[in-house]
Amino acid sequence: MSLNPYILSILSIPNTQNKSRIDLLEFIQERVTIGTWEYDPTSSTLNWSSQTKKIHEVPLDYKPDVEAGLSFYKEGHCRDTISQLFSNCIELKEDFDVEVQITTYTGKDIWVRAIGIPIVKDDQCILVQGLFQDIDKKTKNAKQLAYKEEQLRKTFETALVGMAIVDLDGNWIDVNQSLCDTFGYTKAEIKKLSFVDLTHPEDLRKDNKAMIGMLSGKIDHFETEKRYISKQHEIIWAQLSMSIVRDNNGQPVHFVAQINDVTDVKKTSKKVSQLLTTTEDQNKRLLNFAHIVSHNLRSHYGNLDMLLDIVKMDLPETTDNEIFPLLNQAVTHLGETVENLNEVAAINIQKDLKTEPLNLLENFNKAYSSISALLLDSQTTISINIAPEIIIKAVPAYLDSILLNFLTNAIKYKKPTEPAKIEVNASLKDNFAILEIRDYGQGIDLEKYGAKLFGMYKTFHKHADSRGLGLFITKNQVEAIGGKIEVESKVNEGTTFYIHLKTYEQN
Amino acid sequence: MNKIDVACIIDDDPIFIFGAKRMMELSDFCNSFMIFKNGQEAINNLKPIMNTGEQVPDMILLDINMPIMDGWEFLDEFVKIESHKLVTIYIVSSSIDPVDLDRAKRYKSVSNYIIKPISIDTLKDILSTREEKDSAL
Repeated sequence: MSLNPYILSILSIPNTQNKSRIDLLEFIQERVTIGTWEYDPTSSTLNWSSQTKKIHEVPLDYKPDVEAGLSFYKEGHCRDTISQLFSNCIELKEDFDVEVQITTYTGKDIWVRAIGIPIVKDDQCILVQGLFQDIDKKTKNAKQLAYKEEQLRKTFETALVGMAIVDLDGNWIDVNQSLCDTFGYTKAEIKKLSFVDLTHPEDLRKDNKAMIGMLSGKIDHFETEKRYISKQHEIIWAQLSMSIVRDNNGQPVHFVAQINDVTDVKKTSKKVSQLLTTTEDQNKRLLNFAHIVSHNLRSHYGNLDMLLDIVKMDLPETTDNEIFPLLNQAVTHLGETVENLNEVAAINIQKDLKTEPLNLLENFNKAYSSISALLLDSQTTISINIAPEIIIKAVPAYLDSILLNFLTNAIKYKKPTEPAKIEVNASLKDNFAILEIRDYGQGIDLEKYGAKLFGMYKTFHKHADSRGLGLFITKNQVEAIGGKIEVESKVNEGTTFYIHLKTYEQN
Repeated sequence: MNKIDVACIIDDDPIFIFGAKRMMELSDFCNSFMIFKNGQEAINNLKPIMNTGEQVPDMILLDINMPIMDGWEFLDEFVKIESHKLVTIYIVSSSIDPVDLDRAKRYKSVSNYIIKPISIDTLKDILSTREEKDSAL
């Protein structure tokens, strides 16, 4: 900016006789925060107007000299610049007009504009007149603005989400790196294309409709999941969020789009949904299977039960022996087991199982006595060590079936050469009772069968009774009441099952 | 007790038929039986009987799961036969599926749903409900 020499001459007359003129000058100086100064090289005297002193925050009676004046400029670039310009002004008779920083008397860093003009006479600089303006606020604002602009630009450029500015016709005005990466084009390539070129043809209509809606003011933004086509002709699934930018008069200026590549998410979710379908299918089949099994088993049990009834009435003399009551009991147990199986099948349907507090020892003894014939017959020795105060939370029928299953298994899979030996212990840990059932039987090769141990119809021993449904049902029942089963086993040494059952806690 | 004249059993399971028959004999439930192995056989034979009105069964024990024509299909066909005599029908099944129980309730002609196995007591109950009905009439 060049200063009008006339104004300069007015401003540069500090010692005028006209009082009102001085007042006016000071008024102007204060209002525009412009001070004046002058330097006389012959006498080496420097004069500052009061506004100049105010900007430097020095007292009004302050008497500056060149050295002191220069020392206000920030050390380094600022001071070097002004020193050079000042000496050039005197020696080379050059004007200067510069924006630099000073540190005021009170220690504040502010931006100032310093102007110096040499007055030349006989090719000699006889006076330097200058202006001194506080431009701190303006400079800082401008710098802040530049910083913000820079920040915004960097945010746009480095954002991981693809961002774009699209003109009203759908051409890309500016795009960021992430967007380029997503589509496989360079910035220059993309800018030659419109969004139509990159959009999957089947998704164009939706976009057009949304853009028209935004232009007409019906909507101000638009979000959708859509397909783009990359440079490599691959389908890119993206989450598009688009809004319209309008000027102060409400006229549309351009669109702002955020394009988030969700291709991987899409692929994963597709896989997940496929897995879900498979799982649901399998569950359905399992349920069907359980229904059929339970139904068929039920009808056989029904027949057995009915035949026993008939025997009781028709041939009462045949019931008066040791075998008949055992047969009767076995059939009753069969009926219960079938019912339990039915409940397992129903686990999927009815989530609210009716658990109740059950005494572990009492229930164990019940199961134990119900197979007393079997125990007696097989000459099984059993030691039971369950604290009588352990109360667990379970469905009665489940617990019954769980205990029976482990007991009968332990007997069934004894070593062929010797009677079964079973040890039962119970301990408490956290909120669980751990029932430990150890047999010294054949054992299971866990490395071979571990993964299949609790599967449906998996049997590991060549035993006539092996059905392979027992452990499967048992596991289902244990899990349904919030427990779990662990197993340790060695072939020819025996098997230990650890049955974790939730303990009952009174609220 | 009011003895039933003709009882009809429709079931594909020979063991159940044997058992049910024997129990009926033992409890002096009825004078004679009529046995059919599935719904179709029952319909084929019952139609002419119902039309003539002679030897029409007083009650039917009907199984659900049967080959050729199951219990539900039998019921749908049976209600189409015009008859003056009211036949009491009991569904006797080993299914404890609530879906089956609900379905049975929707048939007006079905008196009750009996879950297998049946026992002498079941038969006695059937007779006593009949008596109650008779005395109420």
